[in-house]
Amino acid sequence: MITTVTLNPSIDREYFIDEHKPMKDQYIYDNENLKVYPGGKGLIAAINLKNLGYSDVQNIGFIGGKQGLFFEKMVQDFQVTTNYVYTSQEMRNNIKIIAQNPPSNTLYNDYTYSVSERSVKELKKRFKRSIRESDLVMIAGSIPSGVSFDIYNELVEICNELDKDVYLKASGEALNRALKAEPKFVVPYFKHTHKILDVKVEELDDYIKMGRELQKKGAQYVIMPFHTNRLLFDNDDTIYMLSPREYCIRNLLGAGDAYNAAFFDFIYQNGFDFIEANRYAAAAALDIAEHKTVFLHNREEIEKNVDNIIIEEMEV
Amino acid sequence: MAIVKNYMMRSLNSVSYEDTVEDAIVYMHKTEMPILPVVDEENHFIGTIYSKNILKNIIPEQYGFINSQRILYDRNQAAENLSDIKYRKVEEYMVTKTDTVLERDNMDKIADIMLNNKESYLFVTNDEGYLRGYISRGDLLYYLLCTEGECDY
Repeated sequence: MITTVTLNPSIDREYFIDEHKPMKDQYIYDNENLKVYPGGKGLIAAINLKNLGYSDVQNIGFIGGKQGLFFEKMVQDFQVTTNYVYTSQEMRNNIKIIAQNPPSNTLYNDYTYSVSERSVKELKKRFKRSIRESDLVMIAGSIPSGVSFDIYNELVEICNELDKDVYLKASGEALNRALKAEPKFVVPYFKHTHKILDVKVEELDDYIKMGRELQKKGAQYVIMPFHTNRLLFDNDDTIYMLSPREYCIRNLLGAGDAYNAAFFDFIYQNGFDFIEANRYAAAAALDIAEHKTVFLHNREEIEKNVDNIIIEEMEV
Repeated sequence: MAIVKNYMMRSLNSVSYEDTVEDAIVYMHKTEMPILPVVDEENHFIGTIYSKNILKNIIPEQYGFINSQRILYDRNQAAENLSDIKYRKVEEYMVTKTDTVLERDNMDKIADIMLNNKESYLFVTNDEGYLRGYISRGDLLYYLLCTEGECDY
């Protein structure tokens, strides 16, 4: 069983229209122009892993209200095993309006979801008993209101107690506090704040400094997004720059999730090799970025990109 | 071959034997499931908790016998009885002798079990006894519908 955790999932709705204008009513008649799917870091990675052929992949998290029932059914359609704590409040919905003339992309991001202390307690219990079959656990994404910033720290501690490795993709205070529990792999994300450990990052040196800082504070390996590249901080203090070559980006939605899923896939298929797992993961992300698709479909698509991923040791 | 894995609901919604009756009721309400699987601390399936069993324990008259004149009295009595047991453990009210099926079992087996013991849901485990989900009468009927023709409803 592969476990991924998504504490703040959403129902994502995309509306494709001709022109996005205030006071102009829109009528959508074609199914192609309205897409509804389950969203959330960790969950998309779970769907990718399922598509790559893993028989048992579970997604753990909170879902809420009657929309939670709908959400769970949607996830089931992808054959992912659902393991959700139902909350009283309705879960969140993200709405994206994609217009053609002029091209625009407007996102209404819903952060109103809140969960109770009782639900948090239930989630921790459920998490502890549900990860027994997993060697590596992916925890990813934001946390809903009502959940303490200590949550990731607590989940990583549970993994440590049960001797499970953790791949953590997090940001802000939840990430800062999780480091104390020394997660094996840390992928910070910071597109909303451009801050890591509360420090603004702009230049390459800032990223290197904060990557090292994440390691000092507990991360064993750090995988740091740096524009379209990644900085890889190995546990022997070596730093590598990973870059794709000869690429044409057409889509960024789902590339990060493909990266995370493929990183797991490499380890499950070949055993742990930090550099090669990242090369393969980047090849998967490149596949998504170059196509108008959110999900990985098979390994062949990933493998054909592997030679286009360059990883070089940095002199710092 | 039609196997359970292709028709089941892959859901690990469950309660632990150490959870309270209150936890189970809240969860039944939120998930709209009258029956929940009970698992141990490692997520092995160990039994089932039925809403009707909880009701049997709190309704003063024999289950199913509430006449209209006594309904208010009975409701108050039932609520009072429930508050007496709501903090008791699920293990006290669960049924351990419930049939399970394996993911790799043939769907034809499901019909036999469901007809023989009147279960509306059967919980699915893997070979090691870990909970994997459930399959309902509706899933069984849908399977039967699909065996007779195209399945595009």
